[in-house]
Amino acid sequence: MGLSTLHNVRFAGMASCVPKRVLSNLEDCAPKLRSERERLVRNIGIHNRRICADWQLFSDLAVDATERLLQELEWQKDEIDALIVVTQSPDYPIPSTAIILQDRLKLSQTTIAFDVNLGCSGYPFGIHLLGSMIAAGTIKKALLLVGDKSASLNDPLFSDAATATALEFDANASPMYFDLNSDGSGYKAIIKPIGGHREPYAIHHGIPYKDAEGELHMPDELILDGPAVLSFSTQRVPPAVVRALDYAGLEKEAVDHFVFHQANRLINETIRKKLGLPTEKVPSTLKDFGNTSGASLPVTMTVCLHDDLAKGKRKVLLSGFGIGLSWGICILDIEGAKFPPLLES
Amino acid sequence: MPTIEQFLENFAVAVDFQEPVEVKAETELASLPEWDSLAALGVIVMFDVDYGKTIVGDDLKNCNTLADLYKLLG
Repeated sequence: MGLSTLHNVRFAGMASCVPKRVLSNLEDCAPKLRSERERLVRNIGIHNRRICADWQLFSDLAVDATERLLQELEWQKDEIDALIVVTQSPDYPIPSTAIILQDRLKLSQTTIAFDVNLGCSGYPFGIHLLGSMIAAGTIKKALLLVGDKSASLNDPLFSDAATATALEFDANASPMYFDLNSDGSGYKAIIKPIGGHREPYAIHHGIPYKDAEGELHMPDELILDGPAVLSFSTQRVPPAVVRALDYAGLEKEAVDHFVFHQANRLINETIRKKLGLPTEKVPSTLKDFGNTSGASLPVTMTVCLHDDLAKGKRKVLLSGFGIGLSWGICILDIEGAKFPPLLES
Repeated sequence: MPTIEQFLENFAVAVDFQEPVEVKAETELASLPEWDSLAALGVIVMFDVDYGKTIVGDDLKNCNTLADLYKLLG
């Protein structure tokens, strides 16, 4: 499909929630690794990350974000017709976290609720999916919860967050434009290979092994092929942005904010430079919130843009990309939406 | 196409050496203290942004020296 347009869907508001616990990539690493870590931090641009408390799940943060957003919007819980959760950090392998959240959030049992298994690219796909249901006319108010619990002590990239976005039917809403793409040939670029049906957990997956540098790893850890992800992101995202702008009949100058998935500084700066975008139009939360997976677009909007987006009509381009491989663009107008400040839980 | 000297200068910036290192055309990549995955990312970005040339991780793996790397520009 690639390019598409949705009508009658209004972006009503958004809330983002991060754990209170802050990890410093520089302070919280072994002293012998400090100088190597300084070079890494300089290049990935991530100084601090947020990490859940041991008991805390993505869904706990999502509940806090949702409650606050509904309060701000003054929406009643029995008005919510659909709840889509985009996460790769479900409470359980099955059932869907969205269905559990229908009950936790005390939404009506007539609510449509299900999960979507997407990571860093997920936000534009989630907006499109929920937006399509709303555009069809029967669903009037709906919620999209996006985020992950992917921070770990050892990996300097990932950070935890959950976000809630509210969409509603509005016959006067400006069109939303999308460019959504998938390339499964790159599925090994970011993969957690153990624990699914291809390779179920077994006793030997609980035994750590040493890599070439002598660092200990568990066999069930996430594997990320850095050069492959960099090449994918910097080759696929800029042309997709150009294509989406062209499809929407817009010049770059007409867009107020370009919000990109916060991958790392090397990737994000390369994309920005290739598109010739000024830094002031490309907000970043990498320094203090790292790579929050699918939540990074809403987290960046909440942290950097909530004041500006509350001022008047703004045209925003959102670009998510990553695991799958999968990449998507959404161009939308935001006006009069509710943006509570960042929540910490 | 840049001169090899300009290329070596850019390479040193892209790798982001912690201590100054003298790089020459015949320098072997594996002999550099910081020739790691981060350096590889920096070099892929340098080829893309500075020279408009797309290279991938395997291209780097096939290079032994900086002169080999320079030839990828051709």
